[in-house]
Amino acid sequence: MKELRFYVRSLRLHLLGGVEYKGWWIMVLQVLVVAVTDPIGTVLMFARFGSVGSWSVERILLIYALAVTSYGLAESLFRGFDYFPSKMVRSGDFDRLLLRPRTLFTQAAVSYFHIHRLARPAAGLAVVFWCLARQNTAPSPRSLWLLVSALLGGTLVYAGVFVFMSGISFFTVGILDWMIIFTNASYQVTRIPLPYMPGALRSVFTFVMPMLVISYYPASVLCGWGEPLWKGLLALPAGAAFLGLSLLVWRVGVRHYKSTGS
Amino acid sequence: MRKAYLSIFRIRAAESFQYRIAALSGSLTSFLWAVIEIAAFTVFFKYARGPGGGLTLEQTVSHIWVRELLLFLQPYNIDGDLLGKLTSGDVGVELCRPLDLYWHWFARTSAGKLVVFVMRCLVCFLVAFLLPGGFAARPPASPAGFLLFVPAVLCAFLLCSSFLMLMTAVRTNITWGDGPMYLLGLAGGLLSGGYLPLQLWPGFMQPFLLLQPFAGICDIPARLYIGSMEPSEAWLGIAVQLFWSVVFIAVGRFIMARRVKTLVVQGG
Repeated sequence: MKELRFYVRSLRLHLLGGVEYKGWWIMVLQVLVVAVTDPIGTVLMFARFGSVGSWSVERILLIYALAVTSYGLAESLFRGFDYFPSKMVRSGDFDRLLLRPRTLFTQAAVSYFHIHRLARPAAGLAVVFWCLARQNTAPSPRSLWLLVSALLGGTLVYAGVFVFMSGISFFTVGILDWMIIFTNASYQVTRIPLPYMPGALRSVFTFVMPMLVISYYPASVLCGWGEPLWKGLLALPAGAAFLGLSLLVWRVGVRHYKSTGS
Repeated sequence: MRKAYLSIFRIRAAESFQYRIAALSGSLTSFLWAVIEIAAFTVFFKYARGPGGGLTLEQTVSHIWVRELLLFLQPYNIDGDLLGKLTSGDVGVELCRPLDLYWHWFARTSAGKLVVFVMRCLVCFLVAFLLPGGFAARPPASPAGFLLFVPAVLCAFLLCSSFLMLMTAVRTNITWGDGPMYLLGLAGGLLSGGYLPLQLWPGFMQPFLLLQPFAGICDIPARLYIGSMEPSEAWLGIAVQLFWSVVFIAVGRFIMARRVKTLVVQGG
């Protein structure tokens, strides 16, 4: 409870600090434009080439938007871990967290927060609803639960990626560019219709980092493309398991921490 | 005087070459990213029902690799050190130097790009030739195209540096935060052909897409390489690049000069 209050209060402080900048709303606009323009390549390709088999632009966008919304939520609520390798480990600022009487996890998660990051999940969610409406999916308690569990699971998965990245940054100190493959590049993979996806990509994003488990499978069950219900409900357990494993890496990392910087 | 700017360029370039491993890890990132992109495009070219057109699959694949080669010209981020100086107030020290602030920072900005080119982009591009079949980069479409590709890349380097300096000049007004700068960078990224080769955009936009300032950063050199722009038309592309470079330098210098007069030095 104490941790939660600490988390909320820190968020509030970051929020108030952020809106002191005169141009803060431009940042919101900017992230919104990024979120909207990011799939523009895919949309234009569909406009030029038409559907791929039964895969229409709405299908691809739904899967894409589920992944993006989860990513955006994780990025907003666990921003500190996203910044952790560059801002905490490299500079040695992590020393200060170790001295404070709160858990490291909460402190690290909330060490940064940017209001404009919320623009991405907002845009993503709007696209999800638009696609669901276009696919004639009737709102029901079942579909609501599927949607919520997909997004919750997805947020946990992406939070797990950030935590994992922070954990190994204790050893590598920076040089984590390639992790982008599990953050921003991971939802680009959803642009490829699943039956045509190279097997290696499909396995990596199902079994190593369960990105398809939180996007494709729930979407498929929601709109009735033929996947069984249990696969659609795997999102939440998969997300929890992935975050759990990442936390182990993080703990090993913390134990090996030697201060850097000056 | 010119010697001073050249030295700054040299020092900054040597400095950034210290981070070789980081650049190589960036190279791996570019590589994986390009492979995902190519997989997505291949699906469209092979299985979609519509007519397509614009570019062939081979041209698109080469376009993606050329883009990775030119990635060091990404117009998103201004020089990290300069940003640090603006937010920490060290810009005050910079103003005390007997150098023109604009050209001093221009030299730094462009030198910072060099290491990224050699260690990240060139490595990734050369490895791309070794890939199997559908993923491999192909040699340039024609010798003449390649001979024009080289000056076009140099012009792109000039264009990108001057655009980044325009962004730096805008960022010099620090109370506005990063917003305006990022918005500019985003427009640059989108219209340079980084998301989708410009020739795959809708047909009616093509004249605009060719003449707008950002095509010169990536798409025009790439067109010459993949042969979707005839060597005989290259003069137009290069003219567009040079025209916008001059505009960006003029506007950047103007804004910078005005900003410096009312600059608030932050921190202490």
